Amino acid sequence: MITAERKPLPEIKEMIAPYRKVLLVGCGSCVAECASGGEKEVGLLASALRIDAKMHGHIIDIKEITLDRQCVYEFIDQLTGIAGQFDAILSLGCGAGVQALADTFPGIIILPALNTTFIGQTKDAGLWIENCRACGDCKLSYFAAVCPITRCAKGLFNGPCGGSQNGKCEVDADVPCAWQLIIERLEKTGRLELLQNIYQPVDWSRQLGKGPRKIHREDQSA
Amino acid sequence: MGLDAMTQNKNELNIVVFFCEQLDLNQDKNRRVLEKELGTSIKFFPLPCSGRIEPLHLMRAIEAGADKVFLITCPEGACRYREGNLRAEKRLAFTQGLIEEIGLEKKRLELIRSKGGAEMTIHERVKEILKREENVNTSPLKLQ
Repeated sequence: MITAERKPLPEIKEMIAPYRKVLLVGCGSCVAECASGGEKEVGLLASALRIDAKMHGHIIDIKEITLDRQCVYEFIDQLTGIAGQFDAILSLGCGAGVQALADTFPGIIILPALNTTFIGQTKDAGLWIENCRACGDCKLSYFAAVCPITRCAKGLFNGPCGGSQNGKCEVDADVPCAWQLIIERLEKTGRLELLQNIYQPVDWSRQLGKGPRKIHREDQSA
Repeated sequence: MGLDAMTQNKNELNIVVFFCEQLDLNQDKNRRVLEKELGTSIKFFPLPCSGRIEPLHLMRAIEAGADKVFLITCPEGACRYREGNLRAEKRLAFTQGLIEEIGLEKKRLELIRSKGGAEMTIHERVKEILKREENVNTSPLKLQ
C-alpha cells in the first residue's frame, strides 16, 4: 500500500485560503488503511477547517465525499457534475489520486492535503513500515523476500556489513538488521547457498532518468 | 463554571457527555434527571463501550457548539471489552492534539476515568464533575 500523512494544518489552510467552496475528497483504499485520507479523516479535516473558519470569522463552505479509489477513472466519475460546483477540491488521496483527479477535471483547482510517503505494510495497528522502493527490478527471490534496498540502511546486496548489534541496524537501532532477517529466513527455507552468489546492483535505469514509467497491457484495454 | 452557576446560566456553557453505558445500566432513565434540570445546556451520548468513541464524534460535538466535552470511561482494568477504555483515552488524546492545532484549548475535551468502588448513577457522576469549577470559557465558535 501507499502510505501518506496529512499535511500540517497551517499549510492546508494557506492552500485553501483563496477559496469559498471547497470539496474534500477522500480515498477508501491505501490512505484509508493508513488513517490519513479515508472517510473518517475527511470528516476530521472538514470539521477542523470549519471550526477554524468559524473561530476566525471566515466564510467557507466545505463538503465531503470519499471515493472507493481515487486513482481510477470509474470511481472519479462519481464527481462528474459535482466537481464544477466548487472553487477547489482538496484531495486526501495519494499523489496518484490527486493527479488522477486533475487529469479528469483539468479546469478545476485540485490541491493535495497529504504528503505521500512510501510503499509499505501495516506492521501493527497504527504502525506502517516502508518495505518497497518500486525499483522495477525486484530481486526478492534471492533475499528470502526481504528487500535489501529498502530495509537495509546501506542498501547492501552482498551480505551484512557486520555492524549490527543484537539483530539491530547500526545506523538506526530501532530497525532490525535486514541481512540478519535474510540469513535467518534463507536458513529456515533451506536456501543458504544463495548467499554465495554475487549480486549485481539494481538496474536503476528502470526507475530513474526516463520520466514517468508506464505499463501498457493490450489484453486489458477496451 | 460549576453546577450551580450552570443552572443559573443555562444558556451559557454547553456540555456534552459521552459515557460508557456499562457504568449505569439504568442510564436511559437516570440521565434525564440532569437533562430536565439543565435543559439544552447538557447533552448525553451513551456508548456501548467508551472504546466506541471516534475522534470525529468529539470534533462534531465541538463544531456543533459544545464548550466542554467529557468522555467518561470505566475504571482502569474494568472494561468489559478489555481495552475499550484504553483506546478511548488514546483517541481523546489524538483529538486534543487536533483541536490544539486549530487554536482551541485541549482542556475542552476531558477524559474522566471512573474510580472503582461505589456504584453511582450517571447523573450522580456528572453532577460530581460539574460541581468542580470549570476552567473553560464559552467556545470561541460562539463568539463569532
